[in-house]
Amino acid sequence: MRELLGLFLVLAILVIIPTVDHVFAAADEPGEYIDRRVLIWNLFFRMMVAAFTVGAVVSGTMIWLCWRFRESHPKATPTEYEKSGEFGAPA
Amino acid sequence: MVLELQKPRPVWQIMFSTHHTDVGLLYLIMSIAFLFLGGTLALLIRAELFFPGSQIIADSMTFNRIFTVHGTTLIFLFLLPSASAVGNYFVPIMVRYKDMAYPKLNAIAFWMIPPAGALIWLGFADFTWYATPPYSIISSPGPAADMWIFGLKILGISSVLGAINFVVTILKCKHPDMSIGQVPLLAWAFLSSSLIVIVAIPTFAAALLMLLTDRLGVTGFFNPVMGGDPIAYAHLFWFTFHPEVYVLVIPAIGMMYEIIPRFSRKPIFSKSSGIFAFVLLSVVSFSSWAHHMYATGMSFTEKTVFMLGTLAAVPASGMHVFNFVATMWNGRIKFLTPMMWSIGGIALFFSAGAGGVANAAMPLDFTTHDTYWVVGHFHLFVMGTIAFGTIGFIYYMFPYVTGRMYNETAGKIHFILSFIGTVLVFFTQHVLGLYGMPRRIFDYPEIPEWIVMNQIATVGAMIIGVSMLIFLINLIHSSAKGKPADIHDPFGLGGKYYYPFESKNPHH
Amino acid sequence: MGHHSNWPEWIYVGVIIAIMCWVGAEAWNVERLVEHVPADAETIIVTGQQWFWTFEHEDGTKEVGTLHVEAGKAYKFEVVSTDVNHSFNIHDYVVLMDAIPGRVNTVWFAPDKAGEHDIQCREYCGLIHYNMRGKLVVEDPLT
Repeated sequence: MRELLGLFLVLAILVIIPTVDHVFAAADEPGEYIDRRVLIWNLFFRMMVAAFTVGAVVSGTMIWLCWRFRESHPKATPTEYEKSGEFGAPA
Repeated sequence: MVLELQKPRPVWQIMFSTHHTDVGLLYLIMSIAFLFLGGTLALLIRAELFFPGSQIIADSMTFNRIFTVHGTTLIFLFLLPSASAVGNYFVPIMVRYKDMAYPKLNAIAFWMIPPAGALIWLGFADFTWYATPPYSIISSPGPAADMWIFGLKILGISSVLGAINFVVTILKCKHPDMSIGQVPLLAWAFLSSSLIVIVAIPTFAAALLMLLTDRLGVTGFFNPVMGGDPIAYAHLFWFTFHPEVYVLVIPAIGMMYEIIPRFSRKPIFSKSSGIFAFVLLSVVSFSSWAHHMYATGMSFTEKTVFMLGTLAAVPASGMHVFNFVATMWNGRIKFLTPMMWSIGGIALFFSAGAGGVANAAMPLDFTTHDTYWVVGHFHLFVMGTIAFGTIGFIYYMFPYVTGRMYNETAGKIHFILSFIGTVLVFFTQHVLGLYGMPRRIFDYPEIPEWIVMNQIATVGAMIIGVSMLIFLINLIHSSAKGKPADIHDPFGLGGKYYYPFESKNPHH
Repeated sequence: MGHHSNWPEWIYVGVIIAIMCWVGAEAWNVERLVEHVPADAETIIVTGQQWFWTFEHEDGTKEVGTLHVEAGKAYKFEVVSTDVNHSFNIHDYVVLMDAIPGRVNTVWFAPDKAGEHDIQCREYCGLIHYNMRGKLVVEDPLT
């Protein structure tokens, strides 16, 4: 197990350090500049797509829960804990 | 015993009492008073920003003082004391002890707050709630600034005393038959947040003293002219006040843990994951403070570390949301006022958290830092999550405190108006921030988008104002004239409450 | 207490951690690109003080309130302050950096089109913070 861990560590170092090196060694080309507006706002919109997707799932679930498990729903049945009063504070 | 308002007692008996429910009542009344004071200032700010130019506030200095005191009041004089109120009422009952561990210390911790509040309000300082040096050292007029510093100093001591009391009560005074795992989640919330207070506050306490001596000119810790570094203050401040966010939010989540299972008529889905998430949150709350300081010239490495530290808080927060959703699943939910506030709070907690993840992503700081985005973001936490949880819990404990029922319809209207208002104000402010409007400005140029969004936000704030007025009338009227509550089951849910019907420790 | 499976919660936590890793990686990558100042960027010293901005170009010319730059070139701002904290912000170009007395903070940008943009202060600095505004004028290259 320990040898395996060591092997993975060596491999990770072998792969990660060159990648990081490569990434930072990107050469400058005079006159060609990145546009920070494009990079940053694109990042923002990607994050918002993720946030709104997750948000739709979470809020959709909660709205459905509130609709389905409300007391007045036709299919509402007492929960298994109600008879014994086994929710909330212990006796 | 606990039916304070049904069996009237002379007011000094409550004021000089050290009984935990009496101290809790004092905390409760004081925090609600400051909620309305601080809220009034918020409405003034919003009214001023309805149109560009100066309308109702005479000059920018007055405006700066107003938002400083607004923030200080609502954080330190409403949110913290209202959590203490709940803790005082419920923690001793939950750990089955007769009172708090140190009743006199408890009363002292409370009575430190009114003088501190008086210092803050009579001074009316102008250097924002985080008193940035060097502005706060060389530019901010005294004695307001010095009074604010002393006020905060006293509040810090009061918080630490209160926190020590909660920790000792829960760990040392819980009933011998009770294991720590059997302590209810609300009490666990107070244990976690109190531990954060004890670790975090001393740093700010030191920074305040250094700020004071800097103002007096005898030292130069944060004054660059004397070789100091303003960034050092920022680190000390945020080392206390980022964890402080969790000090505020953890009790609010604990309150939801009390309300949601009860109104779903089910036990909590997983108590152990709730405890685990509380403990994890209180640890990782210390790993993210400098994400407030990305724009101060931090290195890429520092930014990366604090971004990761910030993202680390998300799984624990998500576990709470999961727990709530899973508890409601298959329940039979009764939508009374406390439950509505809790569910609204969870929905806004998610929105605030999603905005927080975007804030943690360091390049987005260039667009959002110190704009209205940030204002919208943290207000979704303090108002949308923490105040929602707390107000829901105030409704929940109302029958216990007064022996009477609040008006259910008024409570629901209060919730619906507040929810609409909160969404209008703070979601709009996010967008306003993306359009680049800086925070803490008294006036703004006539940019059409800014004007429209400021007006939407102001309308939302006024809706919240109206709803809070309904709340106040409901509280006052119902505590005197409300229907007597069935104290064994005021909400008609069955199950058992943490309401002690017969006190083991009558008033002394 | 209920006897239920814990798998849904583990999967859920796993999904959250995966999303957070993605957020962190994306943000790290963009920040790396944005922070890399081109070697041929011209330096402009930006001084914030209560309550106006001063700009000093590489050739020694100074401007107050309005900054003139050329489209198609890269500029590196060295942001300093002489009194309290300010924050130098050109929102249209997503440029933001605090001006902290005793420190020199750098941020760069490369305007691409001629036009006028607002400069503002984003860090609270007192009485006229709300009106600590300036103008960025991007001009076409003279050639």
